[in-house]
Amino acid sequence: MKIIILGAGQVGSSVAENLASEANDITVVDVDADKLATLQDRLDIRTVIGCASHPHILERAGAADADIILAVTNSDESNMVACQIAYTMFHTPTKIARIRAVEYLSYPELFVQEAMPIDVLISPEQVLTDYVRKLIEYPGALQVLDFADGKVQLVAVRAHQASLLVGHPLKDMRDLMPKIELRVAAIFRQGKPILPDGDTVIEVDDEVFFIAAVKNIRPIINQLRGVDRSNKRIMIAGGGNIGLHLAEALEDDYQVKVIERNPIHARRISERLDKTIVLVGDAADKELLQEENIANTDVFCAVTNDDEANILSSLLAKRLGANKVMVLINRAAYVDLIQGGEIDIAISPQQATIGGLLTHVRRGDVVVVHSLRRGAAEAIEAVAHGDASSSKVVGRSLEQIRLPPGTTIGAIVRGEEVIVAHRHVVIEAEDHVILFMVDKRRIHEVERLFQVGVTFL
Amino acid sequence: MIHIADTISPERIVSNAQATSKKCALERLSSLVASNEDKLVATEVFDSLVARERLGSTGIGHGVAIPHGRLGKLDHAVSAFMRLEKGVDFDAIDNEPVAYMFALLVPKDSNDDHLQLLAQLAKMFSNPAMRERLRLASSSEELYELLSQTKKDDSAVIE
Repeated sequence: MKIIILGAGQVGSSVAENLASEANDITVVDVDADKLATLQDRLDIRTVIGCASHPHILERAGAADADIILAVTNSDESNMVACQIAYTMFHTPTKIARIRAVEYLSYPELFVQEAMPIDVLISPEQVLTDYVRKLIEYPGALQVLDFADGKVQLVAVRAHQASLLVGHPLKDMRDLMPKIELRVAAIFRQGKPILPDGDTVIEVDDEVFFIAAVKNIRPIINQLRGVDRSNKRIMIAGGGNIGLHLAEALEDDYQVKVIERNPIHARRISERLDKTIVLVGDAADKELLQEENIANTDVFCAVTNDDEANILSSLLAKRLGANKVMVLINRAAYVDLIQGGEIDIAISPQQATIGGLLTHVRRGDVVVVHSLRRGAAEAIEAVAHGDASSSKVVGRSLEQIRLPPGTTIGAIVRGEEVIVAHRHVVIEAEDHVILFMVDKRRIHEVERLFQVGVTFL
Repeated sequence: MIHIADTISPERIVSNAQATSKKCALERLSSLVASNEDKLVATEVFDSLVARERLGSTGIGHGVAIPHGRLGKLDHAVSAFMRLEKGVDFDAIDNEPVAYMFALLVPKDSNDDHLQLLAQLAKMFSNPAMRERLRLASSSEELYELLSQTKKDDSAVIE
C-alpha cells in the first residue's frame, strides 16, 4: 500500500517504522531535513522536505497514487488542511488526521465529507485517557484493551503467587473457574512467548494475556492475581491535556488529586474540575507528596510532557509508599528500560495510538488493531464476510481454519453475543473475530484469511 | 440471465490506459464507468470500488482484476474495461501486477444474476487463450468484440 505520512515526530516516525517493515511504500514529509535524514538512515522509505499542507509538496510526495494519507504534524490546522487538499485534489481514499484541540474535537459536525473530509480522527489524549482509566478500573492489569465496542476485552496480568491458577494446567481452568469462560491467548515467560495449550502450566510472574467477555474480566483478574485491592485514591502529576482529561474521567468514582507546577494553569484546570483537588507544586517534591499522603495513594500517575520528570516523580512516589505507579513515557527506548522495575506500568503514547492507525492499513475488514509488546505482537478484530465459497473462514469450525503459528482466535462476537473460542465453533458471515498474534510478521497471512474472494459482491 | 455484452459498450473500453498505481487505475476506471451513464458520478463509483477492494483484492491473478461494487442509484449492471500499458501493483492473489481491469457496478439489491455475471467474468479471464487475445487486440473495438462475444456462448470464445 502507498502511504504518505505527514510529520516525522514521535508518532509519525514510529508509524513509519512499523509499516516500512511490512512491504508498504512509505513517504514521510517534514519541514525538518535532519529528522528525515535520521529516519531514512534506518528505514526503507522516501522522504520529502517541505510544508505538509502545500499542494505541490503533497504532489511531490506522490499523493496522486497514495491509498492513505496520515496527517500527524504537530499542528492541528496543517493536518486538517492537508486532508482537505488530499480530498479535493487527489481523491485520496483514506485520510487520517491527528487532532489534539478539544476546541475542534467537540464539534463532530465539522468532520464530514462536505466540511472537513477526514475519515479517521486520532486524538491521542482521548486514547491515553481511556487507556489509563481502564488500568485504574482493573487493579492488577498491565494492559486492558477493548474489542467489539467493549463487549470483549483482552487483558494482560502478571500471575501472582497468591493466584489459584498458578501451578495448574490450563485445561483445569474450567474446574477452577466454573461458569467463567475465557481463552488464554498467549503467555510471556521472561519476555518470551509460549504458545499455550491445554497442558501449559502457568508459573509465577508469567505475563498472561487472556480474552473474555467484559463481565467476566474482574473475576478472572481476581483469580489470576488474588491480591489487588481496588483503587480509591489517585494522584496525577501534571495538569496538561492528559492530566485534565484523566481527572475529569475519574473524579466521579475516585478521590483524585492533580499536582500542577504552573499556578495559572492550575487555577484554570481547577475551574474545570468539580471534585478534584488541584495542588500547585512540583511532583518530585518529597514533602509535598508526603503532605498529600502519598503512602496511602493507590495509583500515582505521572503524565507531564517531560519523560525524565515523570520517571523521577514516580520513582519517588513509589519509594514513599504509593501502591502502584504509572508513567507516561514518550521516548520508546525509555519504555523498555523502565517497566517491570520499580515502576509498575510504563505507558507509551505511540504504542497506544498506533493501533488506531494500523486499523486502516490492514487489509480485509479489520475494525480494531491493538499493537502490543512494542509492536512485536498484535491483537485484531476482523469481520468475516461472504460464504463458504468466497471466504476462507465462514462456514468453517475453528479447528478447520489454518492459522499461522503463534496466532490464536480468542473470541467471536455475533451480534450481541460473545462466544469464547472453542474448536467446534463455526464462523458465520458478519461475525467479529478477535485474534491474537504473538508475531506480527505473520499478519499478512491473517489478512489473507479474512479477505473475501473475487466472487464476493 | 445477464450477459457481459448487456453491460458494456465500446465507449467504455480503453485499450492503452496509463496509471502509476492501483488507486490511480481505479480512479481512471471509475471515470470510464461513469461516462455515458447520466446517473453515475465518478467519485461515487470510485468510493464503491475502493470499499470493496478493502475487503479483499479483486486481482484474480495473471494480470487481471475485476473490481466491482454496488451502487444505490443503478437499476441495471454497468461495466467498463481498461487495458493498461504497464501493469500496476494490485495486491493480487499471485502478487503479479495487474494490466487488465474489468469494472462491474450493480444495483444495491443485486441478485443471483449479478453473481453469475461475476462468475462468468472470472471464468472468462481465467482462460489463458482469452487473455492472450486481450493482449494482442489492437484497438478498443477489437477488445469490445472479444468481450461481447461471450454473449453467444460462454465457452465458444474460450476455446
